[in-house]
Amino acid sequence: MNTYMLLLHDSINLGEQQNGNEVSAEDMQAIIGDYVGWRSKVEANGRLVGGEKLGDEGGRHIRMTDGEIRVTDGPFAEVKEALGGYFAIKAADYDEAVEISKGCPHLKYGGWIELREVDETH
Amino acid sequence: MNVKPNPSVNELVDHLFRHNAGQMVSVLTRIFGFENIDVIEDAIQEAMIKALNHWPFKGIPKNPTAWLIQVAKNRVLDQFRRNKRVDPGGGETLEKLDRLSGKLIEDKFRYPREMKEDLLCMMFATCDPALKPDSQIALTLKTVGGFSVSEIAAAFLSKNEATAKMLTRAKKTLKEKKMSLEIPPPDELEPRLNAVMKVLYLMFNEGYSASSGAEVVRTDICFEAIRLAQILSDHPVTRSPKVEALLALFFFQGARLGARNSQTRDVLLLADQQRELWDKKMINVGLYHFRRSAVGVEVTDYHLEAEIASCHILANDFDSTDWDRMLQCYDLLLNRRFSPVVAINRIIVISKVKGAEAALNELKNVEKTGLLESYLPYHIACAQLEFETGALEKAAESYRRAIQLATNRPTLRFLERKLEALLQNQEQ
Repeated sequence: MNTYMLLLHDSINLGEQQNGNEVSAEDMQAIIGDYVGWRSKVEANGRLVGGEKLGDEGGRHIRMTDGEIRVTDGPFAEVKEALGGYFAIKAADYDEAVEISKGCPHLKYGGWIELREVDETH
Repeated sequence: MNVKPNPSVNELVDHLFRHNAGQMVSVLTRIFGFENIDVIEDAIQEAMIKALNHWPFKGIPKNPTAWLIQVAKNRVLDQFRRNKRVDPGGGETLEKLDRLSGKLIEDKFRYPREMKEDLLCMMFATCDPALKPDSQIALTLKTVGGFSVSEIAAAFLSKNEATAKMLTRAKKTLKEKKMSLEIPPPDELEPRLNAVMKVLYLMFNEGYSASSGAEVVRTDICFEAIRLAQILSDHPVTRSPKVEALLALFFFQGARLGARNSQTRDVLLLADQQRELWDKKMINVGLYHFRRSAVGVEVTDYHLEAEIASCHILANDFDSTDWDRMLQCYDLLLNRRFSPVVAINRIIVISKVKGAEAALNELKNVEKTGLLESYLPYHIACAQLEFETGALEKAAESYRRAIQLATNRPTLRFLERKLEALLQNQEQ
Protein backbone atom coordinates (compact mmCIF):
# COMPACT_ATOMS: atom_id res chain seq x y z
CA MET A 1 0.00 0.00 0.00
CA ASN A 2 1.39 3.38 -1.00
CA THR A 3 0.61 6.84 0.28
CA TYR A 4 -0.76 9.43 -2.11
CA MET A 5 -1.25 13.15 -1.75
CA LEU A 6 -4.30 14.83 -3.22
CA LEU A 7 -3.25 18.45 -3.71
CA LEU A 8 -6.37 20.54 -4.14
CA HIS A 9 -5.91 23.36 -6.61
CA ASP A 10 -8.17 26.25 -7.62
CA SER A 11 -10.31 26.09 -4.49
CA ILE A 12 -13.28 28.34 -4.51
CA ASN A 13 -14.31 29.76 -1.19
CA LEU A 14 -17.28 27.53 -0.49
CA GLY A 15 -20.34 29.40 0.66
CA GLU A 16 -19.46 32.76 -0.90
CA GLN A 17 -22.39 34.72 -2.22
CA GLN A 18 -23.63 33.82 -5.66
CA ASN A 19 -25.50 36.39 -7.75
CA GLY A 20 -25.87 38.48 -4.63
CA ASN A 21 -27.87 35.80 -2.85
CA GLU A 22 -26.68 34.56 0.47
CA VAL A 23 -25.96 30.84 0.38
CA SER A 24 -28.65 29.18 2.44
CA ALA A 25 -28.01 26.91 5.41
CA GLU A 26 -29.50 24.03 3.45
CA ASP A 27 -27.11 24.61 0.52
CA MET A 28 -24.23 24.57 2.97
CA GLN A 29 -25.60 21.36 4.42
CA ALA A 30 -25.61 19.79 0.95
CA ILE A 31 -22.00 20.82 0.27
CA ILE A 32 -20.71 19.59 3.60
CA GLY A 33 -22.76 16.43 3.11
CA ASP A 34 -20.86 15.71 -0.10
CA TYR A 35 -17.51 16.06 1.61
CA VAL A 36 -18.51 14.12 4.71
CA GLY A 37 -19.89 11.34 2.55
CA TRP A 38 -16.69 11.02 0.53
CA ARG A 39 -14.40 11.45 3.51
CA SER A 40 -16.15 8.87 5.67
CA LYS A 41 -16.24 6.34 2.83
CA VAL A 42 -12.51 6.69 2.33
CA GLU A 43 -12.02 6.53 6.08
CA ALA A 44 -14.27 3.49 6.51
CA ASN A 45 -12.22 1.65 3.88
CA GLY A 46 -9.15 2.38 5.92
CA ARG A 47 -7.69 4.56 3.20
CA LEU A 48 -7.70 7.99 4.82
CA VAL A 49 -4.43 9.18 6.33
CA GLY A 50 -5.35 12.80 6.95
CA GLY A 51 -6.00 16.19 5.49
CA GLU A 52 -5.45 19.86 6.19
CA LYS A 53 -6.83 23.08 4.86
CA LEU A 54 -4.22 25.68 3.97
CA GLY A 55 -4.69 29.38 4.71
CA ASP A 56 -6.61 31.42 2.18
CA GLU A 57 -3.92 34.03 1.58
CA GLY A 58 -1.20 33.27 -0.89
CA GLY A 59 1.54 32.51 1.64
CA ARG A 60 5.25 33.27 1.11
CA HIS A 61 7.74 32.23 -1.49
CA ILE A 62 11.27 31.89 -0.20
CA ARG A 63 14.14 31.71 -2.69
CA MET A 64 17.88 32.02 -2.77
CA THR A 65 18.87 34.56 -5.38
CA ASP A 66 22.56 35.49 -5.88
CA GLY A 67 23.40 34.03 -2.48
CA GLU A 68 20.71 36.06 -0.78
CA ILE A 69 17.46 34.71 0.65
CA ARG A 70 14.47 36.58 -0.73
CA VAL A 71 10.98 36.31 0.63
CA THR A 72 8.02 37.35 -1.48
CA ASP A 73 4.38 37.51 -0.56
CA GLY A 74 1.59 35.50 -2.07
CA PRO A 75 2.73 34.47 -5.51
CA PHE A 76 -0.54 34.42 -7.32
CA ALA A 77 -2.60 37.07 -8.97
CA GLU A 78 -5.72 35.36 -7.68
CA VAL A 79 -6.06 33.63 -4.36
CA LYS A 80 -8.12 30.86 -5.88
CA GLU A 81 -5.10 29.66 -7.82
CA ALA A 82 -3.38 28.83 -4.56
CA LEU A 83 -3.20 25.34 -3.19
CA GLY A 84 -6.28 25.14 -0.97
CA GLY A 85 -5.46 22.05 1.02
CA TYR A 86 -4.59 18.41 0.80
CA PHE A 87 -5.73 14.94 1.66
CA ALA A 88 -3.39 12.01 2.18
CA ILE A 89 -4.71 8.55 1.35
CA LYS A 90 -3.51 4.97 1.11
CA ALA A 91 -3.95 3.07 -2.14
CA ALA A 92 -2.49 0.00 -3.84
CA ASP A 93 -1.40 1.90 -6.92
CA TYR A 94 -2.08 5.00 -9.00
CA ASP A 95 -5.16 3.44 -10.59
CA GLU A 96 -6.82 2.94 -7.24
CA ALA A 97 -5.72 6.36 -6.00
CA VAL A 98 -7.25 7.94 -9.11
CA GLU A 99 -10.52 6.09 -8.51
CA ILE A 100 -10.68 7.38 -4.94
CA SER A 101 -9.80 10.92 -6.08
CA LYS A 102 -12.55 10.92 -8.68
CA GLY A 103 -15.13 10.88 -5.89
CA CYS A 104 -13.65 13.91 -4.13
CA PRO A 105 -16.23 16.75 -4.13
CA HIS A 106 -13.43 19.26 -4.74
CA LEU A 107 -13.90 18.46 -8.44
CA LYS A 108 -17.62 19.13 -8.27
CA TYR A 109 -17.05 22.51 -6.66
CA GLY A 110 -14.76 23.86 -9.35
CA GLY A 111 -11.27 22.75 -8.37
CA TRP A 112 -8.80 20.26 -9.81
CA ILE A 113 -6.65 17.70 -8.06
CA GLU A 114 -2.95 17.06 -8.45
CA LEU A 115 -2.32 13.47 -7.38
CA ARG A 116 1.21 12.54 -6.29
CA GLU A 117 2.63 9.39 -4.81
CA VAL A 118 4.77 9.73 -1.70
CA ASP A 119 8.09 8.11 -2.53
CA GLU A 120 8.63 5.65 0.27
CA THR A 121 11.51 3.70 -1.28
CA HIS A 122 14.60 3.53 0.89
CA MET B 1 -5.34 -1.99 7.84
CA ASN B 2 -7.83 -1.55 10.63
CA VAL B 3 -8.79 2.04 11.11
CA LYS B 4 -12.03 2.53 12.95
CA PRO B 5 -14.09 5.31 11.45
CA ASN B 6 -14.92 8.13 13.79
CA PRO B 7 -18.70 8.00 14.12
CA SER B 8 -19.02 11.73 14.68
CA VAL B 9 -17.55 12.26 11.24
CA ASN B 10 -20.00 9.97 9.52
CA GLU B 11 -23.18 11.36 10.88
CA LEU B 12 -24.49 14.55 9.40
CA VAL B 13 -27.52 15.62 11.37
CA ASP B 14 -30.49 16.72 9.27
CA HIS B 15 -30.75 20.50 8.99
CA LEU B 16 -27.57 20.87 11.03
CA PHE B 17 -26.74 24.30 9.61
CA ARG B 18 -30.27 25.62 9.51
CA HIS B 19 -31.11 24.64 13.07
CA ASN B 20 -27.77 25.82 14.35
CA ALA B 21 -28.26 29.16 12.64
CA GLY B 22 -31.54 29.66 14.52
CA GLN B 23 -30.04 28.45 17.75
CA MET B 24 -27.01 30.72 17.46
CA VAL B 25 -29.00 33.85 16.62
CA SER B 26 -31.13 33.20 19.68
CA VAL B 27 -28.23 32.56 22.06
CA LEU B 28 -26.09 35.46 20.85
CA THR B 29 -28.96 37.94 20.58
CA ARG B 30 -30.00 37.16 24.12
CA ILE B 31 -26.43 37.88 25.24
CA PHE B 32 -25.61 40.90 23.08
CA GLY B 33 -29.09 42.43 22.67
CA PHE B 34 -31.58 42.65 19.82
CA GLU B 35 -30.08 45.96 18.66
CA ASN B 36 -27.02 44.00 17.49
CA ILE B 37 -28.92 41.35 15.58
CA ASP B 38 -27.53 42.40 12.18
CA VAL B 39 -23.94 42.10 13.37
CA ILE B 40 -24.86 38.74 14.90
CA GLU B 41 -26.50 37.41 11.74
CA ASP B 42 -23.46 38.39 9.65
CA ALA B 43 -21.15 36.73 12.16
CA ILE B 44 -23.16 33.52 12.01
CA GLN B 45 -23.09 33.44 8.23
CA GLU B 46 -19.31 33.89 8.38
CA ALA B 47 -18.96 31.14 10.98
CA MET B 48 -20.92 28.74 8.79
CA ILE B 49 -18.78 29.60 5.75
CA LYS B 50 -15.70 28.96 7.85
CA ALA B 51 -17.11 25.56 8.84
CA LEU B 52 -17.82 24.80 5.22
CA ASN B 53 -14.20 25.42 4.28
CA HIS B 54 -12.62 23.64 7.27
CA TRP B 55 -14.78 20.65 8.07
CA PRO B 56 -14.13 18.85 4.76
CA PHE B 57 -10.52 18.35 5.82
CA LYS B 58 -10.88 17.51 9.48
CA GLY B 59 -14.37 16.10 9.53
CA ILE B 60 -17.24 17.49 11.54
CA PRO B 61 -16.21 18.41 15.09
CA LYS B 62 -17.62 16.42 17.99
CA ASN B 63 -19.79 19.33 19.05
CA PRO B 64 -20.55 21.33 15.90
CA THR B 65 -22.81 23.76 17.73
CA ALA B 66 -20.06 24.66 20.18
CA TRP B 67 -17.57 25.08 17.33
CA LEU B 68 -19.90 27.32 15.34
CA ILE B 69 -21.02 29.45 18.24
CA GLN B 70 -17.46 30.02 19.43
CA VAL B 71 -16.45 31.27 15.98
CA ALA B 72 -19.58 33.41 15.67
CA LYS B 73 -19.11 34.93 19.11
CA ASN B 74 -15.53 35.89 18.29
CA ARG B 75 -16.66 37.44 15.01
CA VAL B 76 -19.24 39.53 16.86
CA LEU B 77 -16.61 40.80 19.30
CA ASP B 78 -14.21 41.52 16.41
CA GLN B 79 -16.93 43.60 14.83
CA PHE B 80 -17.52 45.47 18.09
CA ARG B 81 -13.80 46.22 18.25
CA ARG B 82 -13.71 47.45 14.67
CA ASN B 83 -16.83 49.50 15.02
CA LYS B 84 -16.40 51.43 18.25
CA ARG B 85 -19.73 53.15 17.84
CA VAL B 86 -21.54 50.03 18.94
CA ASP B 87 -21.87 50.05 22.68
CA PRO B 88 -22.57 46.47 23.63
CA GLY B 89 -24.32 45.94 26.90
CA GLY B 90 -24.12 49.27 28.70
CA GLY B 91 -20.47 50.28 28.68
CA GLU B 92 -18.82 46.98 29.54
CA THR B 93 -15.28 46.77 28.30
CA LEU B 94 -14.89 44.39 25.41
CA GLU B 95 -12.49 42.19 27.35
CA LYS B 96 -15.05 41.82 30.11
CA LEU B 97 -17.79 41.19 27.58
CA ASP B 98 -15.63 38.53 25.93
CA ARG B 99 -15.14 36.70 29.25
CA LEU B 100 -18.76 37.13 30.26
CA SER B 101 -20.23 35.89 27.00
CA GLY B 102 -17.79 32.98 26.95
CA LYS B 103 -18.95 31.97 30.40
CA LEU B 104 -22.61 32.32 29.47
CA ILE B 105 -22.16 30.14 26.40
CA GLU B 106 -20.26 27.53 28.41
CA ASP B 107 -23.14 27.38 30.88
CA LYS B 108 -25.62 26.87 28.09
CA PHE B 109 -23.83 23.72 27.01
CA ARG B 110 -23.96 22.48 30.58
CA TYR B 111 -27.72 23.09 30.79
CA PRO B 112 -29.24 22.30 27.39
CA ARG B 113 -32.62 23.58 28.54
CA GLU B 114 -31.14 27.07 28.55
CA MET B 115 -30.55 26.71 24.82
CA LYS B 116 -34.18 25.84 24.20
CA GLU B 117 -35.24 28.76 26.36
CA ASP B 118 -33.23 31.12 24.16
CA LEU B 119 -35.19 29.88 21.14
CA LEU B 120 -38.41 30.36 23.07
CA CYS B 121 -37.51 33.95 24.01
CA MET B 122 -36.63 34.70 20.39
CA MET B 123 -39.99 33.30 19.31
CA PHE B 124 -41.80 35.63 21.67
CA ALA B 125 -39.83 38.50 20.12
CA THR B 126 -40.42 37.59 16.47
CA CYS B 127 -44.13 37.02 17.15
CA ASP B 128 -44.43 40.40 18.85
CA PRO B 129 -47.92 41.87 18.34
CA ALA B 130 -46.31 45.06 16.98
CA LEU B 131 -45.60 43.14 13.74
CA LYS B 132 -48.05 42.15 11.01
CA PRO B 133 -48.77 38.42 10.61
CA ASP B 134 -46.73 38.08 7.38
CA SER B 135 -43.73 39.73 9.02
CA GLN B 136 -44.12 37.59 12.13
CA ILE B 137 -44.06 34.39 10.08
CA ALA B 138 -41.17 35.50 7.88
CA LEU B 139 -39.07 36.79 10.77
CA THR B 140 -39.70 33.67 12.83
CA LEU B 141 -38.66 31.47 9.91
CA LYS B 142 -35.54 33.55 9.32
CA THR B 143 -34.41 34.16 12.86
CA VAL B 144 -35.58 31.14 14.84
CA GLY B 145 -35.73 28.67 11.97
CA GLY B 146 -32.57 29.62 10.08
CA PHE B 147 -34.35 29.79 6.70
CA SER B 148 -32.71 31.95 4.05
CA VAL B 149 -34.33 34.99 2.46
CA SER B 150 -34.70 33.20 -0.87
CA GLU B 151 -36.30 30.15 0.75
CA ILE B 152 -38.84 32.33 2.51
CA ALA B 153 -39.48 34.27 -0.69
CA ALA B 154 -40.00 31.02 -2.60
CA ALA B 155 -42.51 29.77 -0.06
CA PHE B 156 -44.49 33.02 -0.12
CA LEU B 157 -44.23 33.47 -3.90
CA SER B 158 -42.52 36.76 -3.25
CA LYS B 159 -39.39 38.41 -4.63
CA ASN B 160 -36.13 38.14 -2.67
CA GLU B 161 -35.84 41.92 -2.42
CA ALA B 162 -39.37 42.35 -1.12
CA THR B 163 -38.83 39.64 1.48
CA ALA B 164 -35.51 41.14 2.55
CA LYS B 165 -37.15 44.55 2.92
CA MET B 166 -39.99 43.10 4.98
CA LEU B 167 -37.47 41.43 7.30
CA THR B 168 -35.43 44.61 7.66
CA ARG B 169 -38.54 46.63 8.54
CA ALA B 170 -39.67 44.03 11.07
CA LYS B 171 -36.26 43.98 12.74
CA LYS B 172 -36.22 47.79 12.82
CA THR B 173 -39.57 47.81 14.61
CA LEU B 174 -38.26 45.40 17.21
CA LYS B 175 -34.97 47.29 17.64
CA GLU B 176 -36.88 50.51 18.25
CA LYS B 177 -38.87 48.82 21.00
CA LYS B 178 -35.57 48.24 22.81
CA MET B 179 -36.92 44.93 23.96
CA SER B 180 -35.00 42.45 26.02
CA LEU B 181 -35.35 38.82 25.08
CA GLU B 182 -37.34 37.35 27.92
CA ILE B 183 -40.31 35.12 28.49
CA PRO B 184 -43.21 37.54 29.07
CA PRO B 185 -44.18 38.11 32.73
CA PRO B 186 -47.17 36.07 34.02
CA ASP B 187 -49.74 38.85 33.52
CA GLU B 188 -48.79 39.17 29.82
CA LEU B 189 -48.09 35.53 29.12
CA GLU B 190 -51.49 34.33 27.85
CA PRO B 191 -52.03 36.84 25.04
CA ARG B 192 -48.37 36.60 24.02
CA LEU B 193 -48.47 32.80 23.98
CA ASN B 194 -51.66 32.95 21.92
CA ALA B 195 -49.88 35.23 19.46
CA VAL B 196 -46.99 32.79 19.11
CA MET B 197 -49.40 29.89 18.61
CA LYS B 198 -51.29 31.84 15.97
CA VAL B 199 -48.06 32.48 14.06
CA LEU B 200 -47.13 28.78 14.20
CA TYR B 201 -50.64 27.87 13.05
CA LEU B 202 -50.41 30.24 10.07
CA MET B 203 -46.86 29.08 9.36
CA PHE B 204 -48.01 25.47 9.21
CA ASN B 205 -50.92 26.34 6.93
CA GLU B 206 -48.63 28.33 4.68
CA GLY B 207 -46.50 25.24 4.28
CA TYR B 208 -49.43 22.87 4.10
CA SER B 209 -51.69 24.52 1.58
CA ALA B 210 -50.50 23.35 -1.81
CA SER B 211 -51.41 26.67 -3.38
CA SER B 212 -47.96 27.77 -4.41
CA GLY B 213 -44.24 27.62 -4.02
CA ALA B 214 -41.48 25.06 -4.00
CA GLU B 215 -42.66 21.78 -2.54
CA VAL B 216 -39.55 20.94 -0.51
CA VAL B 217 -39.39 24.25 1.28
CA ARG B 218 -43.08 24.08 2.04
CA THR B 219 -42.79 20.70 3.72
CA ASP B 220 -39.81 22.00 5.68
CA ILE B 221 -41.96 24.91 6.87
CA CYS B 222 -44.59 22.49 8.21
CA PHE B 223 -41.93 20.60 10.13
CA GLU B 224 -40.47 23.85 11.41
CA ALA B 225 -43.87 24.85 12.84
CA ILE B 226 -43.99 21.44 14.54
CA ARG B 227 -40.47 21.83 15.93
CA LEU B 228 -41.27 25.25 17.38
CA ALA B 229 -44.57 24.08 18.84
CA GLN B 230 -42.65 21.28 20.54
CA ILE B 231 -40.45 23.88 22.20
CA LEU B 232 -43.63 25.47 23.63
CA SER B 233 -44.76 22.05 24.81
CA ASP B 234 -41.37 21.29 26.43
CA HIS B 235 -41.04 24.44 28.50
CA PRO B 236 -42.80 24.48 31.89
CA VAL B 237 -44.01 28.07 31.47
CA THR B 238 -45.66 27.59 28.07
CA ARG B 239 -46.70 23.94 28.37
CA SER B 240 -50.50 23.80 28.24
CA PRO B 241 -53.44 21.79 26.87
CA LYS B 242 -53.94 24.25 24.00
CA VAL B 243 -50.32 23.81 22.90
CA GLU B 244 -50.91 20.05 22.95
CA ALA B 245 -54.04 20.56 20.82
CA LEU B 246 -52.02 22.60 18.33
CA LEU B 247 -49.38 19.87 18.15
CA ALA B 248 -52.04 17.18 17.74
CA LEU B 249 -53.52 19.16 14.84
CA PHE B 250 -50.07 19.58 13.24
CA PHE B 251 -49.25 15.88 13.50
CA PHE B 252 -52.64 14.75 12.16
CA GLN B 253 -52.32 17.11 9.19
CA GLY B 254 -48.63 16.35 8.76
CA ALA B 255 -49.38 12.62 8.59
CA ARG B 256 -51.26 13.27 5.36
CA LEU B 257 -48.52 15.36 3.70
CA GLY B 258 -47.08 12.45 1.74
CA ALA B 259 -50.46 11.31 0.45
CA ARG B 260 -51.58 14.76 -0.61
CA ASN B 261 -49.93 14.86 -3.99
CA SER B 262 -50.48 12.04 -6.39
CA GLN B 263 -47.71 11.16 -8.80
CA THR B 264 -49.02 13.65 -11.29
CA ARG B 265 -48.82 16.21 -8.48
CA ASP B 266 -52.50 16.95 -8.87
CA VAL B 267 -54.67 17.95 -6.01
CA LEU B 268 -56.13 14.87 -4.43
CA LEU B 269 -59.39 15.02 -2.60
CA LEU B 270 -59.42 13.48 0.83
CA ALA B 271 -61.86 10.87 -0.44
CA ASP B 272 -59.38 9.67 -3.07
CA GLN B 273 -56.29 9.68 -0.86
CA GLN B 274 -54.65 6.35 -0.21
CA ARG B 275 -54.89 6.02 3.53
CA GLU B 276 -52.04 3.54 3.69
CA LEU B 277 -49.76 6.41 2.65
CA TRP B 278 -50.61 8.32 5.81
CA ASP B 279 -47.68 8.40 8.22
CA LYS B 280 -48.56 6.02 11.08
CA LYS B 281 -45.81 7.29 13.32
CA MET B 282 -47.02 10.88 13.04
CA ILE B 283 -50.59 9.75 13.69
CA ASN B 284 -49.46 8.08 16.91
CA VAL B 285 -47.54 11.13 18.08
CA GLY B 286 -50.62 13.21 17.20
CA LEU B 287 -52.81 10.94 19.30
CA TYR B 288 -50.39 11.28 22.20
CA HIS B 289 -50.66 15.07 22.09
CA PHE B 290 -54.41 14.84 21.50
CA ARG B 291 -54.85 12.91 24.76
CA ARG B 292 -52.72 15.44 26.61
CA SER B 293 -54.83 18.28 25.19
CA ALA B 294 -57.99 16.93 26.81
CA VAL B 295 -57.19 18.42 30.22
CA GLY B 296 -58.65 21.48 31.91
CA VAL B 297 -61.71 23.50 30.96
CA GLU B 298 -60.51 25.68 28.11
CA VAL B 299 -61.64 24.62 24.64
CA THR B 300 -59.73 26.45 21.91
CA ASP B 301 -60.12 26.51 18.14
CA TYR B 302 -57.09 24.23 18.06
CA HIS B 303 -58.94 21.64 20.17
CA LEU B 304 -61.88 21.66 17.74
CA GLU B 305 -59.69 21.55 14.66
CA ALA B 306 -57.60 18.74 16.13
CA GLU B 307 -60.76 16.81 16.88
CA ILE B 308 -61.99 17.26 13.31
CA ALA B 309 -58.63 16.11 11.98
CA SER B 310 -58.79 13.10 14.32
CA CYS B 311 -62.14 12.09 12.75
CA HIS B 312 -60.41 11.81 9.38
CA ILE B 313 -57.34 10.14 10.79
CA LEU B 314 -59.22 7.52 12.79
CA ALA B 315 -61.66 6.53 10.05
CA ASN B 316 -60.78 3.36 8.16
CA ASP B 317 -62.06 4.86 4.94
CA PHE B 318 -63.76 8.03 3.78
CA ASP B 319 -67.32 6.70 4.13
CA SER B 320 -66.94 5.45 7.68
CA THR B 321 -65.81 8.87 8.92
CA ASP B 322 -67.69 10.03 12.04
CA TRP B 323 -69.51 12.86 10.24
CA ASP B 324 -71.93 13.61 13.12
CA ARG B 325 -69.12 14.33 15.52
CA MET B 326 -67.38 16.42 12.90
CA LEU B 327 -70.49 18.48 12.30
CA GLN B 328 -70.71 19.26 16.02
CA CYS B 329 -67.13 20.52 15.96
CA TYR B 330 -67.75 22.65 12.87
CA ASP B 331 -70.87 24.17 14.43
CA LEU B 332 -68.87 25.10 17.52
CA LEU B 333 -66.06 26.54 15.42
CA LEU B 334 -68.37 28.59 13.25
CA ASN B 335 -70.16 29.98 16.30
CA ARG B 336 -66.86 31.35 17.53
CA ARG B 337 -65.93 33.23 14.39
CA PHE B 338 -66.88 33.22 10.72
CA SER B 339 -64.27 31.75 8.44
CA PRO B 340 -64.90 30.83 4.81
CA VAL B 341 -62.71 27.75 5.15
CA VAL B 342 -64.69 26.48 8.11
CA ALA B 343 -68.00 27.38 6.47
CA ILE B 344 -67.26 25.40 3.32
CA ASN B 345 -65.83 22.42 5.17
CA ARG B 346 -68.94 22.38 7.34
CA ILE B 347 -71.13 22.27 4.24
CA ILE B 348 -69.28 19.20 2.98
CA VAL B 349 -69.90 17.49 6.30
CA ILE B 350 -73.59 18.45 6.13
CA SER B 351 -73.80 16.77 2.74
CA LYS B 352 -72.55 13.58 4.37
CA VAL B 353 -74.97 13.81 7.30
CA LYS B 354 -78.11 15.27 5.69
CA GLY B 355 -77.54 14.79 1.96
CA ALA B 356 -76.47 16.98 -0.95
CA GLU B 357 -79.80 18.81 -1.25
CA ALA B 358 -79.72 20.05 2.35
CA ALA B 359 -76.08 20.99 2.02
CA LEU B 360 -76.72 22.96 -1.15
CA ASN B 361 -79.52 24.92 0.52
CA GLU B 362 -77.26 25.66 3.47
CA LEU B 363 -74.50 26.72 1.12
CA LYS B 364 -76.76 29.21 -0.67
CA ASN B 365 -77.67 30.62 2.75
CA VAL B 366 -74.04 31.18 3.59
CA GLU B 367 -73.43 32.71 0.18
CA LYS B 368 -75.98 35.42 0.96
CA THR B 369 -73.33 37.01 3.14
CA GLY B 370 -71.55 37.77 -0.17
CA LEU B 371 -68.24 36.73 1.33
CA LEU B 372 -67.73 33.66 -0.82
CA GLU B 373 -68.20 34.88 -4.41
CA SER B 374 -64.48 35.09 -5.11
CA TYR B 375 -63.58 32.14 -2.90
CA LEU B 376 -62.45 29.18 -5.00
CA PRO B 377 -63.44 26.34 -2.64
CA TYR B 378 -67.00 27.72 -2.54
CA HIS B 379 -67.41 27.14 -6.27
CA ILE B 380 -65.81 23.71 -6.10
CA ALA B 381 -68.20 22.74 -3.29
CA CYS B 382 -71.13 24.12 -5.31
CA ALA B 383 -70.11 22.11 -8.35
CA GLN B 384 -69.73 18.91 -6.38
CA LEU B 385 -73.11 19.29 -4.64
CA GLU B 386 -74.92 20.33 -7.83
CA PHE B 387 -73.45 17.29 -9.52
CA GLU B 388 -74.70 15.06 -6.70
CA THR B 389 -78.21 16.50 -6.93
CA GLY B 390 -78.22 15.96 -10.70
CA ALA B 391 -78.09 19.65 -11.68
CA LEU B 392 -75.37 19.01 -14.25
CA GLU B 393 -75.72 22.31 -16.16
CA LYS B 394 -75.27 24.27 -12.97
CA ALA B 395 -72.38 22.06 -11.89
CA ALA B 396 -70.58 22.74 -15.17
CA GLU B 397 -71.17 26.47 -14.68
CA SER B 398 -69.68 26.28 -11.18
CA TYR B 399 -66.61 24.43 -12.44
CA ARG B 400 -66.11 27.10 -15.11
CA ARG B 401 -66.27 29.80 -12.45
CA ALA B 402 -63.82 27.84 -10.30
CA ILE B 403 -61.41 27.47 -13.23
CA GLN B 404 -61.42 31.25 -13.63
CA LEU B 405 -60.39 31.62 -9.99
CA ALA B 406 -57.77 28.88 -9.88
CA THR B 407 -54.25 30.26 -9.45
CA ASN B 408 -52.05 27.20 -9.59
CA ARG B 409 -51.51 24.52 -12.16
CA PRO B 410 -52.41 21.37 -10.18
CA THR B 411 -55.73 22.84 -9.09
CA LEU B 412 -56.44 24.03 -12.60
CA ARG B 413 -55.69 20.58 -14.04
CA PHE B 414 -57.86 18.95 -11.42
CA LEU B 415 -60.81 21.22 -12.20
CA GLU B 416 -60.48 20.87 -15.96
CA ARG B 417 -60.51 17.10 -15.61
CA LYS B 418 -63.62 17.29 -13.46
CA LEU B 419 -65.37 19.52 -15.98
CA GLU B 420 -64.41 17.29 -18.87
CA ALA B 421 -65.71 14.19 -17.10
CA LEU B 422 -68.93 16.03 -16.32
CA LEU B 423 -69.50 17.10 -19.91
CA GLN B 424 -68.85 13.59 -21.21
CA ASN B 425 -71.27 12.29 -18.60
CA GLN B 426 -73.89 14.74 -19.85
CA GLU B 427 -73.56 13.64 -23.47
CA GLN B 428 -74.20 10.00 -22.68
